[in-house]
Amino acid sequence: MNLAAKDVLMHFGKFLATIMGVGLLLTIVLVMNGIYRGIVADGVWLIQNTETDLWVVENGRGGPFNEQSRLNTDVYKSVAATPGVLNAGPFITYTVQRDIAGRNQQFTVIGFDVFSGLGGPKNIVAGRDIQSAHYEAVVDMKLGVRLGEQFRLGVHDYTVVGLTKQAVDTMGNPLLYLALHDAQEVLFEQDNQTIYAAEAASLQKLLDAGYSQDQAQRLLPFFSSPKNTISAVLVKLAPSTDVSDVSGNIHDWLYLNVFTPDEEIQLMIGGRLKRIAMTIGLFRIMLVIVAIVIIALIVYVITIEKIRSIATLKLIGASNLVIMRMIFEQSITITVASFGVGCGLSHFLQMSGKFPRSLEFLPFDTLLVFGVMLLGGSIASLFAIWIALRTPPSLALGG
Amino acid sequence: MAVLKVTGLEKVFGEGRLAVTALKDIEFSVQQGELMALLGPSGSGKTTLLLCISLILEPSSGHIMINGQDIYKNGWTGVDIRCFRRENIGFIFQAHNLIPFLTAVENVALIMTLNGVSDKAAKKQAMELLEYLEISHRARALPGTMSGGEQQRVAIARALANQPVLILADEPTAALDTERGMKVMGLLKKIARERGTAVITVTHDHRMIAGFDTVRELNDGRFIITP
Repeated sequence: MNLAAKDVLMHFGKFLATIMGVGLLLTIVLVMNGIYRGIVADGVWLIQNTETDLWVVENGRGGPFNEQSRLNTDVYKSVAATPGVLNAGPFITYTVQRDIAGRNQQFTVIGFDVFSGLGGPKNIVAGRDIQSAHYEAVVDMKLGVRLGEQFRLGVHDYTVVGLTKQAVDTMGNPLLYLALHDAQEVLFEQDNQTIYAAEAASLQKLLDAGYSQDQAQRLLPFFSSPKNTISAVLVKLAPSTDVSDVSGNIHDWLYLNVFTPDEEIQLMIGGRLKRIAMTIGLFRIMLVIVAIVIIALIVYVITIEKIRSIATLKLIGASNLVIMRMIFEQSITITVASFGVGCGLSHFLQMSGKFPRSLEFLPFDTLLVFGVMLLGGSIASLFAIWIALRTPPSLALGG
Repeated sequence: MAVLKVTGLEKVFGEGRLAVTALKDIEFSVQQGELMALLGPSGSGKTTLLLCISLILEPSSGHIMINGQDIYKNGWTGVDIRCFRRENIGFIFQAHNLIPFLTAVENVALIMTLNGVSDKAAKKQAMELLEYLEISHRARALPGTMSGGEQQRVAIARALANQPVLILADEPTAALDTERGMKVMGLLKKIARERGTAVITVTHDHRMIAGFDTVRELNDGRFIITP
């Protein structure tokens, strides 16, 4: 006769409510696991899906993702001339918040050299890559635009020639690929009022320095802000080339920082993602502790509720094993069923696609949470068992 | 034949100046089929004596012999004593103390399964006991849905489940009205007579005293009436 099962069946509603409550808490823990893994996956997606052997960025900087990096566009030609480099292409990336597909959305623009092809889109699920130097775009489906649709960005209209799936930047924003010059134009375009104001300020500086009005007007174009910068140069190495040799040459002769894709990933994980990982990790630990404490309290309460029955069982000669088994089975039932609810709900959230961030569930993370919860549930039941075993059988006597 | 024989029983709580003697010079025996009442005011030592006979409290001195076994002279462990209690002593409680999440038949069968009887066989025997006590129509009911009298019948059936030689009843009629109390007393008498089980009942209920074969009264830890 399984006493634990009989008790659960009699108090089914109470057990169900408990399991749902703890299950929802565990859903949050598992979703946090998923968010963390999703952030890592998003964080490295662009690095892993950009065709390059080396990332060349501004000297002394950890760009282009962890830190801003600005290079003159023409630098890529110098990099291309470095021994061992098969091909080099300019690359620009920046995040914008613009109206697109009828909504104000945040997304990241990637500009690349369409002719070298380095840095172009991956995961194209419909349409094609960019083939024209201007006014074509490859867009991630998350942005909600359709293949062939035209949208305005800055002062020009762009036609969607390809759609990608799950192409995201380090923060999970969808990507929009443009030809390099289009991307630079979108980034550096300024409205007329801003341009007039900047010109007036520059003109005044020249006049204050003693130049005549005519001289100052002729010098003005040299004071305009640069519009031809890029974030990085992507490098394709020639076969059988030593990566460190090429990196060393670029660094020593061109005064630029060079990272392999693995080093970029390490920069990302050790930099931007580290703090997020620590924050989410702390929340995960706190939530697991809260879940274990709740299970311990629930097991304690359901044991205390049965204390007279436990005393009676002891008086009529039930062994400690019978009592321990009853408490342990109930505790483990609550733990396992709650975990099942948590697991089911978190995967439902992932499959529904309604969750605002990418969710990635790794079996190791899920099993780790299960193991910790099982351990916590066991400790909780040991606490309740300790109380039960200390219950004197004489408690059964009297009114 | 004496089912229970208590000689020179003494129980002292605490030590030295703080020592309190709860029972002193307790001597009595209960025969097979005998129905004995144990009376006494609060604090007289009834519960202490019941706990000693139940083998839950070990006496400070003296002997307790149940079914020919001198309990504390055998060198038994706690587990041995618990098994002996389960096989030889049945309990009836004032508040019935049925396990609330088990049906009537499961409550009765439980104690048999603890003794190693299979679930199926235990339930069959439990049904027979419920029939014997005329409560089999409530076999599938949970205690919470039964009246006090019905619960006490099931509790009596549970006490009989392992065919004990001795039943200890702790104020079994206290929570019942006179009519139901008399019925329970009638059942206990029937069990004693038909099954030869000795029954010791702690009671405050003077309405029921006439039905007992022996009445013993405790005061300040000693018997004051020993017929």
